[in-house]
Amino acid sequence: RITEKDVDDVLWDLEMALLESDVALEVAEKITTELKEELVGRKVKRSTEISEYTMEALKKAVKDVLSVDGVDLPQLVEKKKPLVIMFVGINGTGKTTTIAKVARYFMKKGLEPVIAAADTFRAGAIEQIGQHADKLGVKLISHRKGADPAAVAFDAVSHAKAQGKDVVLIDTAGRMQTNVNLMDEMAKIKRVVRPDLIVFVGDALTGNDAIEQAARFDEAVGIDAVILTKADADARGGAALSIGYMIKRPIIFMGIGQGYDDIMEFKPEWMVEQLFA
Amino acid sequence: MLGNLGRSLSKTMKKLAGMTIVDEEVVREVIKDIQRALIQSDVNIKLVFNLSKSIEERALNEEPPKGITPKEHIISIVYDEMVKLLGEKSHELVIDDKPYRILFLGLQGSGKTTTIGKLARYLRKKGFTVGVVCTDTWRPAALEQLKQYTEGQDVSIYGDPQNRDALDLAEKGLARFQKKDVIIFDTAGRHKEEKDLLREMEELSAIVEPHEAILVIDGTIGQQAREQALAFRKATDIGSIIVTKLDGSAKGGGALSAVAEIGAPIKFIGTGERIDDLEVFDPERFISRLLGM
Ligand SMILES: Nc1nc2c(ncn2[C@@H]2O[C@H](COP(=O)(O)OP(=O)(O)OP(=O)(O)O)[C@@H](O)[C@H]2O)c(=O)[nH]1
Ligand SMILES: Nc1nc2c(ncn2[C@@H]2O[C@H](COP(=O)(O)OP(=O)(O)OP(=O)(O)O)[C@@H](O)[C@H]2O)c(=O)[nH]1
Ligand SMILES: [K+]
Ligand SMILES: [Mg+2]
Ligand SMILES: [Mg+2]
Repeated sequence: RITEKDVDDVLWDLEMALLESDVALEVAEKITTELKEELVGRKVKRSTEISEYTMEALKKAVKDVLSVDGVDLPQLVEKKKPLVIMFVGINGTGKTTTIAKVARYFMKKGLEPVIAAADTFRAGAIEQIGQHADKLGVKLISHRKGADPAAVAFDAVSHAKAQGKDVVLIDTAGRMQTNVNLMDEMAKIKRVVRPDLIVFVGDALTGNDAIEQAARFDEAVGIDAVILTKADADARGGAALSIGYMIKRPIIFMGIGQGYDDIMEFKPEWMVEQLFA
Repeated sequence: MLGNLGRSLSKTMKKLAGMTIVDEEVVREVIKDIQRALIQSDVNIKLVFNLSKSIEERALNEEPPKGITPKEHIISIVYDEMVKLLGEKSHELVIDDKPYRILFLGLQGSGKTTTIGKLARYLRKKGFTVGVVCTDTWRPAALEQLKQYTEGQDVSIYGDPQNRDALDLAEKGLARFQKKDVIIFDTAGRHKEEKDLLREMEELSAIVEPHEAILVIDGTIGQQAREQALAFRKATDIGSIIVTKLDGSAKGGGALSAVAEIGAPIKFIGTGERIDDLEVFDPERFISRLLGM
């Protein structure tokens, strides 16, 4: 039988591996504690098997966290038109670029998106998303800088309804999860347009703050799905596990570059490989 | 969950409070808490263990100076060791040549362009004339962002969205702003796997010959900070660091790890999106925040 002493060393090593991969400390501790409870008292044939066994159990735990039921975007569009998707997250994670990529994704499936330039705050934000929309040949709904973002989003949805468009992609300004006023402003956009899907865009290089970000955005507007960007930067991407553990929502895509096609479906196996490479 | 660490740390610190002689067990407990605090603040894991080892050794072996309680002693050791990491080098930006050339570098979305706007304003307020050159040929509306952000700040901006050659833009900007006190070069974001972009950065650096290359580090970055900073240093001599987004809940331990690795001092921190949200770096405050004290 496995004793506590048997697994302590192995679990310590695993916890360190998780931490070095940017899994938040709290999450790494919870995962290893749960693992310990599961392992202690189990029967194994030889003591050498313990570490192997522990490793397999951890892989399974990681997969479990990340294998929540996914979101089938094209299927959602079939059910509701226009499908309204709002993108949220802290500053500079890649929301605007990701929207351009997701627009391309829908276009490849023969669906027509509209983009709402609802970041009316940041310098150059409207021009940035505007240039993406031009290059992609997507209709952009925008107001002046400083305008009410909820009004922009509302107009985009109205436009999509009137023109029979398939999807509305709402770009919002980046904001810190600690900024109460800005979090309220985001909640107002949600109240006004009632999006079908709220996507949290997180940066794969994020450390321990990932859990605070996910928890606070979830609290403010409710996160339905997650996209993890900049996975091409050699990130181990522990943030995926932290976020998954905190809010138990599916990670639908990973951003893997700055081009429009640099997006891929997220596979839990990827994370497992990164962690145990 | 928020800030539970600060609380737990001050709890152990409280245990120390009444102590008149050093109790080994309590010290070990405090060290453990410090370790957790540093890990939660994104300090590089190996660095955390090295750091806590030297803190523990000193706390157990060094006699506290007369009139100093064990608690004060440990706190001063912790500060001491952390300050050592942050470097003895100056935390001030000194403009001692004309035109003083500053090259901004960093990962995608770390806050370079915004921080350039803030720094330009900071320097203008000190009476320096400033020109900013946009060499970002990647991000849509990069030049427009700079222009809008510095509107009304009396800062000259040069860029050309039609020109796709970052090196050519740097050369032209350099020539144009020879009469300014300071020239700041904005660059496209890049990371250590983008070899072409790193090479471009090397070439940019050769053209600009910066007095100071400033690496902008996102305060929310985790364990990757060290590796990424190393890749940047390999391509260019990094003179200083600016840590952004410290108005959120992240503690900036990634940036600390980068400093410890490449030895360039942090000179400013970014504390918001507004043009005035730039603070001169204060090591003591940074360390307190990192430790949740
Ligand atoms: N390497 C890489 N870069 C990315 C990826 N996604 C976005 N970026 C880059 O990250 C930077 C910031 O992207 P944005 O789309 O402007 O980020 P944002 O979240 O909209 O930023 P704010 O609106 O200012 O909060 C840009 O330089 C993008 O090209 C990715 O998957 N990989
Ligand atoms: N809250 C907060 N946001 C910041 C801070 N510094 C920059 N930002 C925001 O971070 C986002 C990215 O900033 P940029 O200046 O575009 O970053 P960049 O490094 O130039 O990005 P690229 O050129 O795409 O690589 C924007 O939303 C900024 O407003 C800061 O100190 N606090
Ligand atoms: K630096
Ligand atoms: Mg944006
Ligand atoms: Mg920029």
